[in-house]
Amino acid sequence: MTTTKAATNATAPETGPTGPRGIGRAIETAARGHRSIPVLVVLAIIWAVFYSQSSAYLSFQNITNLTLQIVTTAILALGVVFVLIVGEIDLSSAVLSGVCAAVAAGLTVNHGLPLVVGIAAGVATGMVVTFVEAQIIMFGVPSLIVTLGGMVILQGLILVVLPPEFTISVAGTPFAKIASTAIPAGASYGLAAAGTLAYAGYRFFQHRERASTGSLTSLATVLVPAVVVAVVLFGGVFTLTQQRGLPMPLLILAVMLLIAWYATTQTRYGIHLYAVGGDREAAQRAGIPVRRMVLYSFLILGACAAIAGMVDSSRQLGVSVTSGAGPLMLNAIAAAVVGGTSLFGGRGSIWSALLGALVIGSISNGVQLLGLSTEVQYFATGSVLIIAVAVDVVLTRGSLLPGRRA
Amino acid sequence: MTTPLLQLTKVSKHFGGVRALHEVDMAVHAGEVVALVGDNGAGKSTLVKIVSGVESPDGGEIRVRGEARRLESPRAAAEAGIRTVFQDLSLCDNLDAVQNLFLGQERYGPVWSGRRVRRHVMEEQAQRVLESLSVKLRALNTPVVALSGGQRQGIAIGRALISDPAVVILDEPTAALGVSQRGEVLDLIDRLREQGRAVVVISHDMKDVRRVADRIVVLRLGTKVAEFERGGYTPADLVGAMTGAHETNDEGGEQ
Repeated sequence: MTTTKAATNATAPETGPTGPRGIGRAIETAARGHRSIPVLVVLAIIWAVFYSQSSAYLSFQNITNLTLQIVTTAILALGVVFVLIVGEIDLSSAVLSGVCAAVAAGLTVNHGLPLVVGIAAGVATGMVVTFVEAQIIMFGVPSLIVTLGGMVILQGLILVVLPPEFTISVAGTPFAKIASTAIPAGASYGLAAAGTLAYAGYRFFQHRERASTGSLTSLATVLVPAVVVAVVLFGGVFTLTQQRGLPMPLLILAVMLLIAWYATTQTRYGIHLYAVGGDREAAQRAGIPVRRMVLYSFLILGACAAIAGMVDSSRQLGVSVTSGAGPLMLNAIAAAVVGGTSLFGGRGSIWSALLGALVIGSISNGVQLLGLSTEVQYFATGSVLIIAVAVDVVLTRGSLLPGRRA
Repeated sequence: MTTPLLQLTKVSKHFGGVRALHEVDMAVHAGEVVALVGDNGAGKSTLVKIVSGVESPDGGEIRVRGEARRLESPRAAAEAGIRTVFQDLSLCDNLDAVQNLFLGQERYGPVWSGRRVRRHVMEEQAQRVLESLSVKLRALNTPVVALSGGQRQGIAIGRALISDPAVVILDEPTAALGVSQRGEVLDLIDRLREQGRAVVVISHDMKDVRRVADRIVVLRLGTKVAEFERGGYTPADLVGAMTGAHETNDEGGEQ
């Protein structure tokens, strides 16, 4: 195929003029991410409601607080999304995050090992635990049971890992730097610019690729997404650097999302991941190593749980028996599902982790800001979970009538 | 006489004490559609499973393009040039047309790119394969769940053609379809013949078989009981052979 083919193809009668079709294609590409739209609407409503009650809700300071509050949930939810897409579930990763944090903090703070060693040991712990869980699941025990049992066992394990006083304080240690480090505004803008350029460059590369095979394409497929990404990145950096620079946990989350986006949407691994979640039998027949794909998802979850645990304990300045306990697990699963990831496998994107965590975090942040009682937070979070999934079901089915579950 | 693309010689298969196939001979030439018919339990599915590498035979020989091959796995069968379209189509509903066409045979970049999928290459080839089958889609990124039965069959057959196989096996391709889509699929089979492939069609539907097959192989209780050339039989011959009204040369082997 020569490069001239692109030009001839663009003027071919059946394809029509390239401009409008190119824009149409760009819109279509954007619409394929339509699963994010309901959750964005829900988020906008929540923000509007709380903002109408208190203008402090959407202040730079509170938005920064909010994003820091959701980081742990979002990182954990990211791992959960991988497991949900492949058609499994996990209940143990929140407690696992506490165990990993205890290992990492114990090694760095109590045993004086370098921070890097502690972090590596934490991640390794997470992946070893989920590796074992995945083996038992592939042996034939349902993941719900394996990870439920695993959760209880890990609650015991954290008591073993923690020192006799059952707490590790990391205040004033290098471990606390994970969360307290802030990237100065100038460098943050640099990162935003680099990110935008890299993304636009990648889009342009894809545009050239498509043109080289004579496929329909136009510069709109480069410019429209690039502008959106620029607005999000620069807007985000502007908002989050008002205090004292871009907090490190947010950068960690952003990098993880970036890697996950590339892996799930641009690679062979991503196609196989969704194929296994969509129809295991069909994936198997197509020669996809189904068991290995399930294992990969759990290993990714293990790593995410470890990172979530370490970031959280660094932020809380310590690890204790309550690390990873409480509502974290259910919040992470709810975040993934509110964001549009199906519990039945095969559907959902990594952005659901971020958006879902934002929805849930926005509610609890608003409730606390307004000084409302805790039960309001529970009522609202639970209702939003159900409503978000109901909206998703309606959109999937295209009708309000009851019917087959999606 | 040219070498057949697919040749089975005395292929047998037992499941425990049950004789599923007994010394079945069959040859399919390039540009030929052979229908495999028979009652339930005649051994059609066993034969399909053996040729597609899902089951291995107890005895006999399978030659592809004149070369003896051992089809130990679906992958080995695919490498030998045999592709099977199963009755349930084995499509992933949540993936789009291109992803389904290339499932398990994606075109991807080097390891340092994380095996980045070369979508543009796949789209271009998908376009060509679907055109060769005259399958029309509104857009290549339509999830297959939104496609019609005929289009889905087209995608499933298209997937078989991605690796340009010599032999295509279709297991009950028209079973779940309405009248117009049935016609569409029979046209697809005609196109496979025009492409010079050896096609084996398993079907229950005698009308479809008469319409599409150049030759009909009749199995009954695991043995080949008859073989008819196009135009060389009456519907009554066919039914007679299938039910055993004409032939009595088998010794049982019920299953």
